[in-house]
Amino acid sequence: MPELENPFQETLLSRHRAEPCSVVIFGATGDLTHRKLIPAIYNIAAAGDLPPQFKVVGFARRDKTDEVFRKELEEGNRQNSRQGHNDELWKSFSQCIHYHRSEFEDLEGYKSLGKLLDQFDAERGAPANRLFYLAAAPEAFKPILEMIRAAGLNEGVKGKWARVVCEKPFGKDLATAQGLNAVVAATFAEKDTYRIDHYLGKETAQNIMVLRFANSIFEPNWNSRYIDHVQITCAENLGMEGGRGGYYDTAGALRDMVQNHLLQLVSLVAMEPPTDLSADSVRDEKVKVIRALRPLVGPEEVGKHVIRAQYTAGSVDGAPRVGYRQEDRVNPESQTEPYVALRLMIDTWRWQGVPFYIRVGKQLPKKATEISIHFKKPPQVPFATSTMLKNSENTLVIRIQPDEGIALRILCKQPGQAMSIQQVKMDFRYSSSFGKASPEAYERLLLDAMAGDATLFARRDEVENAWKFIDEIENAWHKSDTPPTMHEYPAGSWGPKEADDLLRADGREWRLL
Amino acid sequence: MPPTNLNDSDLDRLGLETPIGRIDRALKQLWEGDEAKTRASLINLAIYTEDGCQLVADNELLDHVAAQHACRALLILALPEAQPPRARAWIQALCRPYQGKQIVCSEQISFVLEGGDAAQVQNIVFAHLDSDLPLVVWWQADLTKNFEERLYSRIDTLIIDSARWEDPAKQFDALLAAMNAEGGDFDLRDLAWTRSHFMRTALAACFQDATACHNLSKLQTIRITHLKGQRTTALLLAAWINQRLKASLSVELIEKDSGPALQGLVLEGEGVRGEVRRDCDSCFVRVSSTCGESTREDLLPADKDSDAELVSELLSRFHGSTLYSSMLPFVRSMLK
Repeated sequence: MPELENPFQETLLSRHRAEPCSVVIFGATGDLTHRKLIPAIYNIAAAGDLPPQFKVVGFARRDKTDEVFRKELEEGNRQNSRQGHNDELWKSFSQCIHYHRSEFEDLEGYKSLGKLLDQFDAERGAPANRLFYLAAAPEAFKPILEMIRAAGLNEGVKGKWARVVCEKPFGKDLATAQGLNAVVAATFAEKDTYRIDHYLGKETAQNIMVLRFANSIFEPNWNSRYIDHVQITCAENLGMEGGRGGYYDTAGALRDMVQNHLLQLVSLVAMEPPTDLSADSVRDEKVKVIRALRPLVGPEEVGKHVIRAQYTAGSVDGAPRVGYRQEDRVNPESQTEPYVALRLMIDTWRWQGVPFYIRVGKQLPKKATEISIHFKKPPQVPFATSTMLKNSENTLVIRIQPDEGIALRILCKQPGQAMSIQQVKMDFRYSSSFGKASPEAYERLLLDAMAGDATLFARRDEVENAWKFIDEIENAWHKSDTPPTMHEYPAGSWGPKEADDLLRADGREWRLL
Repeated sequence: MPPTNLNDSDLDRLGLETPIGRIDRALKQLWEGDEAKTRASLINLAIYTEDGCQLVADNELLDHVAAQHACRALLILALPEAQPPRARAWIQALCRPYQGKQIVCSEQISFVLEGGDAAQVQNIVFAHLDSDLPLVVWWQADLTKNFEERLYSRIDTLIIDSARWEDPAKQFDALLAAMNAEGGDFDLRDLAWTRSHFMRTALAACFQDATACHNLSKLQTIRITHLKGQRTTALLLAAWINQRLKASLSVELIEKDSGPALQGLVLEGEGVRGEVRRDCDSCFVRVSSTCGESTREDLLPADKDSDAELVSELLSRFHGSTLYSSMLPFVRSMLK
């Protein structure tokens, strides 16, 4: 039967519309599925954006029925759904949820999955697209992808597509990422591979491009001529609660946060304007930034530009906290860093001589992710003394989370007879100006994957170039005879003194958050 | 003396009465000394009415809308026939808590203009806009009176509710004339059209699968059940269906005395049937499509029906829609 356009569909929507689709979640009994994926899909349904005849299949090892699986997910949805839980909607929505039990290495399980997907297609009266979501542990990616290929599920049915979404971490170094990419590439084409980075689904991260390229007041100043430096802070006020220490101690802040989330933010801030908004045009520009990061090679170079640290016992919000090495499931002799601060240089015409300072850490005083653009001071302010202008450069702050928004710090004359200058802040908050809550990052990203928009997903070369940069630092820390020092900071402080010294050496300081 | 249909308690709800020449100063004083409040504004949102009975409802509507869309709200009640001429104004802050502590507020200025003409309305509106922000006007009155070029040429988005019009044919003529005139390049939004959005989305879902889609050409009739007073809403929906199908399906409208504005839509033909049904007070619609022996059912969200919810929803979808404008000739011909 030739495919016809639905005449009622066109013109209704301002974004890509997903066609009928089956989503298979591998690792369906895990935390991510319960806390993020199903609530995200439920909220997409509540907004009426789910494609018709949608199906979601949970694929996992444990034995359970559809009903039991739905009941478990209902509980998770009650606790985690952004828009709350409606029993009537859940009753209808949950009918699209199914459970498929199989070992990840069992080919027969994938063949029977194929039959189940075919059965859904038969009920629809036409084949549908298929999205395979790898929410399992990274070591399971390889067997899952191999089995998908062996069962022929990587090929779309009758002109429909089959795609894969890979959760982070995408490798633990360049070699494993390349290995994983090779396995993925053997099963899915790059255009059908969606590497998720939930930071890119956040409203403010998406707004960086709009802010830069849709406002004529910023872009002409967005270069080394006017910008002194850039700071990116990702602070967590938690430690290793909930058994996170086991995974975290094998990764550390550099691998867990910088390689993916923070380098993605750097690339959005530093990229050149894309020729259009297609996924590849945007990602072409982003990857150029990652490639242009000045490599940090050898322990001496790394020690000069990168500060790593572990927290010692202290207190956050008045509550006592143990040191990193005393945390649950953390090696008491661990050499893993829950804090890292870096000075990055981007060797492009636009950013020559402009340092990007990045810091990310656990057990800091508050939870906040912010980007701040620090503009150069004017060459001369004739009516002000130099003391008046200390720490008074114009600063543009992009708050990623929480309290998403943008603030601009400018100087004004203080009212009165004297010529006194004072900093004032113009503040835009998403939640004050737009009463409607932003969708969760996973809602946006899942819909994009279903609709075929890969703009907010990392491409293979982005991931590999990021690992290439990170590996040099990891090697200096863990494979050198003279590794840079692991510094310390008390829990609840803003990090080690050495991180402050990193900026002080350049005549700068970390912004107060 | 209060103007016709207005009593003092209605006017008290508008806030603090202020001489028109002192509005800016009074607004400034409203914010002074309370640092816990943040004034926010993204648009100028004006409601223009000539019906005194609407004042309280419009006042409540602005309070609701401002909670979701920070704005400078202007409520204008013009009573052109009232004598002697008199203009009064009130100011108030529309506040909502933010993150449990801080208060975010919009400003509202309300005017009662007795004996005013078009020039007076324009002077009032343009003198009290938040500068550099878009102007959105919900024009609830007749388009044939004070709605003139010097006013609408400054409007960025014009909101109407064609379902309220007593003589839709005459009003659509006036609207089309304004849109075709110099300065008539405002973005047009009709609440009657927004009201049917959930039905249109549900209908699209109804015919999404390949089998149903292939049977569209067999459709012969459209049956729409609507609330009394929502005939134009139903006609817009029917016009859209015929336009999308490039067909002239026969249209049957069934009027009910109670329930939501749009309650049911059935498209039927030989061996094919699509139905969207909204139960009273439900925030969902039930969708079913039948092709031959096979029937498929679904549950989809339904937009809320109140004017406040519709305006709020419409302001959330700020991107322009050429679809509605392209449909107006169809609607106009159905009204003849």
